[in-house]
Amino acid sequence: MATNTRHNTRATDTRVARDGASGPPDRRIGGLAASPLGRGVRRVLLWIPLIILVLWTVMPFLITMSISLKARGEVFADPGLLPDSPRLDAYREVIARPGFRGAFLNSVLVGFGTAALTIAISVPAAYAFARFGFRGRHLLLLFTLLPRLVPSLGLMIPLYQIAVTAGMLDKRLTLVIVYSGMLVPLAVWLLVGFIQQIPRELEEAANVDGASMFKRIRYIVLPLALPALITIGVLAFREAWNEFTLVLVLTTTPGKRTLPYELYLMQGIQGIQNYPAEAAFTILTIVPFILIYTRIEKYIVAGITTGSVK
Amino acid sequence: MTTRRATERRRRRRAKRAASRPDRGSLVGHSKATPYVLSAPAILAVSVLLAFPVVYAVWGSLYDTEFIGGPGRFVGFQQYVDLFQDPKFLWSMSRTFVFVFGVLILGMTLGLVFGFALHQVTGGMRFLRGVTIVPYLVSGIATAVIFRLILNQNFGQVNRFLEFLGIPAQAWFSDPNLAMLASILAQVWADLPLAVLLILGGLQLMDPQLLDAAEVDGATGWKRAWRISIPLITPQISLSTILLSYQALTSLGVIIALTGGGPVDATRTLTIALYETAFVDLETNEALAIVVVILLFNALLTLGYVGLSRRYNLDEQ
Repeated sequence: MATNTRHNTRATDTRVARDGASGPPDRRIGGLAASPLGRGVRRVLLWIPLIILVLWTVMPFLITMSISLKARGEVFADPGLLPDSPRLDAYREVIARPGFRGAFLNSVLVGFGTAALTIAISVPAAYAFARFGFRGRHLLLLFTLLPRLVPSLGLMIPLYQIAVTAGMLDKRLTLVIVYSGMLVPLAVWLLVGFIQQIPRELEEAANVDGASMFKRIRYIVLPLALPALITIGVLAFREAWNEFTLVLVLTTTPGKRTLPYELYLMQGIQGIQNYPAEAAFTILTIVPFILIYTRIEKYIVAGITTGSVK
Repeated sequence: MTTRRATERRRRRRAKRAASRPDRGSLVGHSKATPYVLSAPAILAVSVLLAFPVVYAVWGSLYDTEFIGGPGRFVGFQQYVDLFQDPKFLWSMSRTFVFVFGVLILGMTLGLVFGFALHQVTGGMRFLRGVTIVPYLVSGIATAVIFRLILNQNFGQVNRFLEFLGIPAQAWFSDPNLAMLASILAQVWADLPLAVLLILGGLQLMDPQLLDAAEVDGATGWKRAWRISIPLITPQISLSTILLSYQALTSLGVIIALTGGGPVDATRTLTIALYETAFVDLETNEALAIVVVILLFNALLTLGYVGLSRRYNLDEQ
């Protein structure tokens, strides 16, 4: 993460320097920039992909939101993007469903549980990998590869059988444990890189002052590794919030499902499709996360660009 | 006598090993067991939840059970032999290839176009980068529901747009080819942020002086993109290719909620086949063989990934 920040600054620096030295900033877009006509063509060439990008990313949301604000019949009668009389009936209907409220609560619980357990497991392990020379150290490489090697799809049947044998089927705790297990390798890997950048001297000084290892982790390592912890927490929460394959097989009763499962069932259960309700349900599962996201965008971007995608 | 010499040798070896790792273990206040205790929960979690299931899958795929819950009978590789003679499985393989290939073509094209466009964006428009990531936050199921709505035959905005262009409305989910296209579109929508961000990251690492030099030499925009930028971001392009294939190969949520494998099995990829074999037909051992096949494809992709990281030192970046 620290490296990322460095790159960003570097990119900005060069841009600033170049802008100052070489006139209009879009000079670098191409050689045509010399003539006014060329610059116009160039602008258009740049704007077309950007407009497509925004349409591609945002339109599906806007259309879904528009449908969620219509009445059931209106969806067919008036397929326009702007509803004539926007109404919140679909949202009221969805929130009134016990299935939605239960699933929402489960998603929140499993999400925070996964984030907490992932951090609790990975911090000590990362500290051991980063600070001690012991034989298990070589497992670190395996840690970086395992999540890529084993997708949740491959875990579906074995974990189902294990859960049945262990009597752990249909429990929220099982979901928390399983999702944490899937996130731990990535979390350890991110944290090791981070902890290694914290100067050992800090800890050695604290050691001289009589701080135990626990205290050193608590008061030196954790505060300095906070950005990594937030990234891990967000990625863990995202996994629990969005995961479908495992919740599909590890839960059996309605009370234990998370949002994606409930949304999946919603499509099939109602005989005649209630499109506004489906749209409202979808928006309600996405919006909370987008609200969190606007506050922590850089951590997620860091998570993606360090190759921690899943 | 011999034991003493052995002890001596061991001691010397240990001392040598300690010397070859300067600085390690210099932190006071821990015993030799400390690192093992600290890392035990993580290693246990990974072993039980990630490593053991793989062993279990391989082992289980070598057995066959006559009836559900009955005793297993060792059949060796018979499950695999049966699989590769089963036209339904081969059909699923071919569907998977079409799906992954489609995702790659569309995903990489859009990823490059958007990556280059975002690279040109400066100042206030930088928020566009944030917008790009949003689909990454949306679950596969939600993506599928959204695409069912926008591709709906009667009121979907895509069909309305096609009609605006003079093309008749399409039945996206009853036509086999269009259903595959719809699945590819939805999958690309969900995973494109990964490709765009990686490519954008690569472009930003590029030395701008190279482009300036090319400009002085009279190279135009397209030429510079093809001859300089693209070769320079080869690592990021290859990495995106691998990640997109990985996501497409192991995606269940998007397809199961979008098409459910239909119509007439047109989108019955390996993941759908796996789910149905295991939880509808209840043929656990056969399903485990499918798991192993998917894991093998996955391992190939991972090998490619490792090779790339080594070759381009991606971890150092």
